Formats: sequence, C-alpha cells, structure tokens
Amino acid sequence: MGVVMPLNAGTAQTRTQQVVNEDSTDIALFVRSSQDDMLGWNRQRIVDALLRETFVDRDTAEKISRDIEVTIQAGRVKTITGPLIREMVNAKLLEMGLEEARRMHTRLGVPLYDVDQLLVQHNKENANVPHGPEATNLTLAEGIKKEYALLQVFTPDVADAHLSGDLHLHDLGFIDRPYCSGQSLEYIKKFGLNLPHALSMAKPAKHAEVLLAHMVKFAASLQSHFAGAIGWDAINLFYAPYLEELSDDGVRQLAQMMIYEFSQQAVARGGQAIFSDVNIYWEVPKHFVDVPAIGPGGLYTGKTYGEYEKQAQRFAWALFEVYKEGDAAGRPFFFPKPLVHITEKFFKTDGHMDFLHHICEVASVKGNTYFVFDRGDTAKISECCRLSFKLEASDLEDAKQPWKMRYSALQNITINLPRLAFRAKGDDTKLFALLTEKIQLAAKAHGQKKKFIERLMSLGKGGPLSLLAMDLDGEPYLKLHRCSYLIGMVGLNELIRVHLGQELHDSDASIKFGLKVIAHMNIVCNKLAETLGMKFVLEQTPAESTAFRFAKLDLAHFSKEAEKVVQGNREKGEVYYSNSTLFNVGATMSPIARVEKEGLFHPLIEAGSITHLWLGEAQPDKEALATFIINVFKHTQNDQIAFSPEFTACLACGKTSRGLSDACPYCHSKDVDGITRITGYFTKISSWNKGKLGELHDRYRNNDRFNN
Amino acid sequence: MTLFTKDDCVLCDQLKKQFDLSAMDVQVEVLGNNDAAALAHLAWHGLVEKARKALPILVLDDSSALHEFPHIESHLLNRAARYGITTKHLSTQASCASGNCALQ
Repeated sequence: MGVVMPLNAGTAQTRTQQVVNEDSTDIALFVRSSQDDMLGWNRQRIVDALLRETFVDRDTAEKISRDIEVTIQAGRVKTITGPLIREMVNAKLLEMGLEEARRMHTRLGVPLYDVDQLLVQHNKENANVPHGPEATNLTLAEGIKKEYALLQVFTPDVADAHLSGDLHLHDLGFIDRPYCSGQSLEYIKKFGLNLPHALSMAKPAKHAEVLLAHMVKFAASLQSHFAGAIGWDAINLFYAPYLEELSDDGVRQLAQMMIYEFSQQAVARGGQAIFSDVNIYWEVPKHFVDVPAIGPGGLYTGKTYGEYEKQAQRFAWALFEVYKEGDAAGRPFFFPKPLVHITEKFFKTDGHMDFLHHICEVASVKGNTYFVFDRGDTAKISECCRLSFKLEASDLEDAKQPWKMRYSALQNITINLPRLAFRAKGDDTKLFALLTEKIQLAAKAHGQKKKFIERLMSLGKGGPLSLLAMDLDGEPYLKLHRCSYLIGMVGLNELIRVHLGQELHDSDASIKFGLKVIAHMNIVCNKLAETLGMKFVLEQTPAESTAFRFAKLDLAHFSKEAEKVVQGNREKGEVYYSNSTLFNVGATMSPIARVEKEGLFHPLIEAGSITHLWLGEAQPDKEALATFIINVFKHTQNDQIAFSPEFTACLACGKTSRGLSDACPYCHSKDVDGITRITGYFTKISSWNKGKLGELHDRYRNNDRFNN
Repeated sequence: MTLFTKDDCVLCDQLKKQFDLSAMDVQVEVLGNNDAAALAHLAWHGLVEKARKALPILVLDDSSALHEFPHIESHLLNRAARYGITTKHLSTQASCASGNCALQ
C-alpha cells in the first residue's frame, strides 16, 4: 500500500496547474502523494477536499487550511505526507466540533506496524486462507473494505453493535459481495463458459473433462464474487449424461480430477480455497425425474434425468472411492465437501445399503461424508458449513429448467447470546426483549447491505458485479429478490448457563428454555420477514472466529459475568463460546443422545444446522455407522451430521497417521501438523485461531461408542 | 395430553367446538406468530416438521403423537367418555381445503 495523497482532488492536469501556480504561500514543502510523485504544498487542496467530501462551508474550509498551514510552518518539516495532512485536518474538525464532517473526511488505511506484522505473520481469522503474498494482499484489502463498510454502508448504531460485540457482521472485508451461492451445473452445460470480461468464450462442453474445466473456472469466478461457499446441486446426476461412454476407470479418473481440482485451488489462487460443496444423491430426486437431460454440446439427449440413475450412481460411487483414498499422503481432502442427501426415496432405491456402507466407510476412514437428512417431501440444496436452502414451490418449478436453480444468502449476522443473559440478570421478559431488539438491529443491518448490493448491481454489466448481473437465461445470475438474509447465534449454551445456572446437557429444563429462545428468534424473524419483505432465516452460524471474538470481548467488557461461563483456557487466551445451539463440546454424551437432543433445535433453524461427532482416533465399523445413520434418519429431527476423525500429517516423511500426536509415529519427527474439522470443514490445526484450539482441547471424542 | 392447534385452522376449531378440552385435561397450545413457548413445546416433542404439514396434532401422555384427524377425534371421544363428558355433535365435518391446517 502506497502513501496516499487524498487531498488531491482533480485530474493530473489540474494537479500540474496547482504545482505550477503556487499560491501566495512560499512554503518549500513537498507532499508525498499516492501518484508516485512529490507535489508542492498547496493549502487549496485541503479546501477542495473538504468541500468535495464533507458539508462544511467554504469559509470554514479556508480557515482550517490556513490553520494547518500555520501548524506545518511552525513544525519546520521539509516533507509531509498526504495521510498526515488528512489526520491534522481531522483533528481540527474534531476540535471545532464538526464530528460528522470528520467522519466523512476519514482516511481508511493500515498502520505501518500492522502491515509489517501482516506481511510476516499468518492471519488465522479464516483457517481456509493460506499464508502468502496473495493472502496478505487480500487481508490488507479486506481491512480497508471492512472500515469502509462500518463507516459508509452501515449506520453508526449497527457499526457500534458490531464493534462492541453485541452482534457480528460476517465478512465485512467482502462488503461488496453477497455471502454464498448454491447453483446447478446446468447453467454452464447449457450456456458454456460465457462470462463477462472473459478473454475468450467457450461453447457448451462436449466432453466430461471439459465440463469439469468449465465448472472449476466458473466456481473460481463465483468465489471472487461471493464471500462464502459455492455449492453445486446433484452434481453426480448432472454429470451423468456425459458419462455413458466412459469406462469405470474413466469415471474414476474424472472423479479424481474433480476432487483434486477443487482441493488444490488454494495453491493456484493464493487466497481462500474455493469453499466448494457438492450435493450428491444415490437416487434421482423426485423433482428431476421427468426433467429432460442436457448432454454434450448443451443439447438435450432425448432422455430424462430419471433414466440416468445408474450413471449418476457410478459417479457418486467413484467420488467416494477417491475420498476414501485421500490425497497422495493419505490425508483427507478438505474440498469439495461431499453432502449426501438421505431421503425417503434413498431407502427405496436399489443398492442403497451398499452405497450407505461405502459412504460410512469414508466417514470412518477419512471423515469427508456429510449426511444431510431430507425427511418427508423436503428437498434442499446444502452448502457452506451447514447452510441449506429448502426448495419451495417456486424453486421446484425452476427445477423443470434446472439452470434456473440458484440460491444465495446476501449476508450473515450473528447475535451474541450470552451477553443478552448478562444484561437480563435472570429476568425472562428482559431477556426476550433484548433478543428481539438485537434481531431487529440485525434486520436493519441486512437492509443496509441489501441497499448497497442493489446499488452495485444497478451498474449492470459495466459495474463491479457484472458476473452476477449476467443474464444468459433472462434473469440476473444473482436473483436479489429471492436472496435469504441469515441470522445466526453463538453461545446458546452459555446463555442458558448464565440464565438458569445449568448447561444445555444438564437437564430437560435447560433444553426447553433453549428451545424457547430459538423459537422466539424464529418467530421474530418470520414477523420481520412479513413486515420488511425480506427472507430472514435462522442459521447455525459456523462462527469459526466469532465464538472466540465474542468470548474475548465479553471477558473484557463483562468480565465478572463472562469469567464464569466462557469455555476454554483463559490463561492461554484460548477462550470461546459454544457454537450456535450446540451443546458443550466436552459434555459426556452418547452420540445418539447428542444427535437427538441437538436435533430438537434443527427444525426451528430453517437455513441449516449440523451436529458434529468427534471421532478422535476411533475408526468405527461401516456397518455400525450405517445403522446409526438409519436410526438418526428415522428417529430424530437432526438436519445433518458429520463424523470427524483426527490425523497427524508428518511434514518430514510425508506420512499420515490416525489421531493427534506430537511426533510422527513412523519417523519420530516432531515436524508434524494436525488435521481435523475446525467447524464445517477440514483444515490444518496450525492455521486455527486460539478459540478453536481451546475447543479442540475440550472436545469429547467418541472412542468405541459406535461398535457396541 | 396436549393438542397443538392454530387460530385459523378449521380442523382445530372443530375439535375445540366438539370437546370441552380443559375439562378433559387436554392442554391446548395455539401456534402462531406470538407464542414462542408453544412453538418450543412443539419442538421439544420433535413435531415442528409434522406441524408444517398438518395440524392439529395430539400428543398423548406417553409422548406419542396422533396426526390424522380421525384418529385424534376418536381418541378424544374415548377420553371424553372416560371422563363422563358429553361432546357436541357437529352436523358438518370440517375440511381443510383452505390450506390453513398447518404451521406456516
């Protein structure tokens, strides 16, 4: 980042004029500008900037510029920077009581010390971002955009609520993007890779490998336009028309290419890996059975997707063979995340038990499988760490032309629940009133982000969101009117502990009160949705860093109360609140009890929930896990579960072993890194923030819990 | 025993007219836009998704649930008989063509 010379208002020509036509002052000062130039001092630039950027009158602007000039003269400085002048002007504005003008005249930037640190140290806010020059570029840019968002996009009450930790506005550094996107492969199958500003345009793919290339590039483009996950619906089904001429080896090769392509994107991009999810079905989902299939060249094959069940199953099977093997060092693939939908129809489809055993084996050996439960007539597309979009009537209508199926959440905002309990001091009425107030504030923040994105989208194909404005099927890619607005929660368990003196797993009364809190959130969201015409839905926020941030802020600002309930190791600073509505991760509970009890909350959280079962070193039988999955589907309300084993990857000999160890069991090197699930995805433990390290230490491992 | 209902649900209304539910020790929960406790109670029984498909739902003392209207009516008729409470005979059988017999 260069030194900014923000007081320079005009074009290069006017700047030259200003230098040449030095005004009455004869200060021999040079101002370092961001234009890689040294400009002569000209106090008129202060006046111009104040008039351009704020509402101060000309006389005041003139006075301020004269005062600054006097100060600079008195300081006998030879070289001065644009940022320094701006800071001096801001100090003057404050001195004169012109607070709003100071706000408007703010300079966004990063202290030199911080840049020094950022360039060297790994930013662990998001464990999915590697450390490197491209990543530090992103961190620095995000820092500026974050400040911009809090000053310009959101009103001061919203910004203050975020900064104080009442709520958390996620992905502020990506303020000019929606949150996440779930879509169908049919879009690129039908239209090819035809993206705005691309240097070349590709026709619809004729071969499976080319389709994969299109998919990966499209996903990378989408990732640079969304803050979060990029999900793909029924991926094995939509590939099926391309697989008929491929041998089993060919299908397996394609599966391997897909998984490697997505999992290695982080290396190619430098920034965050594409947070990719692939939704997989063993059966052909009911809403696709009669849909005409699109095949090579973007042409209809003359068959319906119902006729491609076997091909789709071949691909699904092959994908999980690759997951089972892991990468070249036997480590689990981090991306793409495979989300298998367990439905009523799944159990009526031939071969389902074999497939269930297959994906359970992968869950046990590598942990990749996510089991998504769609009971009754429910159909949904899942992505991110647990987010899901339930398909409504209009979506099922779109399913007849699947390229139209795309779903986005515009923003995610999380409420700090324990803090509400601190403030309510045991008073139910006050607790629910405070909760309502924070949800209303979150809704207001969503409205502000919506307005901002609408403004960017209104610039159309010439604007920064041209990719999202492309309308190959007659509608903008981002269907703003159908976006969801996510409201999440952190620390229900600690709220209950403060309010009732017990944790969620301690008693039925705790769970019932917890359900009342989440039911209240659900009801308020529905009411606001009706009033404001925006789709507010609850989601279990992944809260990878938010659970840490809230705990840290509460220890600072509500220390007396927070000290009693914050989880983790305070001495090491490894503190956290329990994620969303999850029970204490360290509570000794049987896996089925955890799944059942946490699952009671899931139907109230319409945009997605998950229960994590930490396996540690355990490697349960595939048959035992399959029985477990069937029981969960039939006898609980749980939305989604994942089993998380732990691994030690040796950086010296390259081997991978089960469990977390300080040294490699093969070569005894201590140059090792742990791997397990941080929240909704696998990653290296060395990239985790302190809060998550605290949680890792506390997690209850279900050793030998499944085989009995 | 709890009967989960909704204000504009015609099948729920029919049961309320037909039976003196409080005299039969049947707690009535009205699900709507203002009662988090009722919704939480429904969630505790794991019935939110069922309620999104159809109401009323009768939860028995052993925590099992009846979802089919004829089964609920029949169960309540038996209970009324056991309690010695007379029930009102309604000339017309309500139906839920309006689609309001479900949690939104």
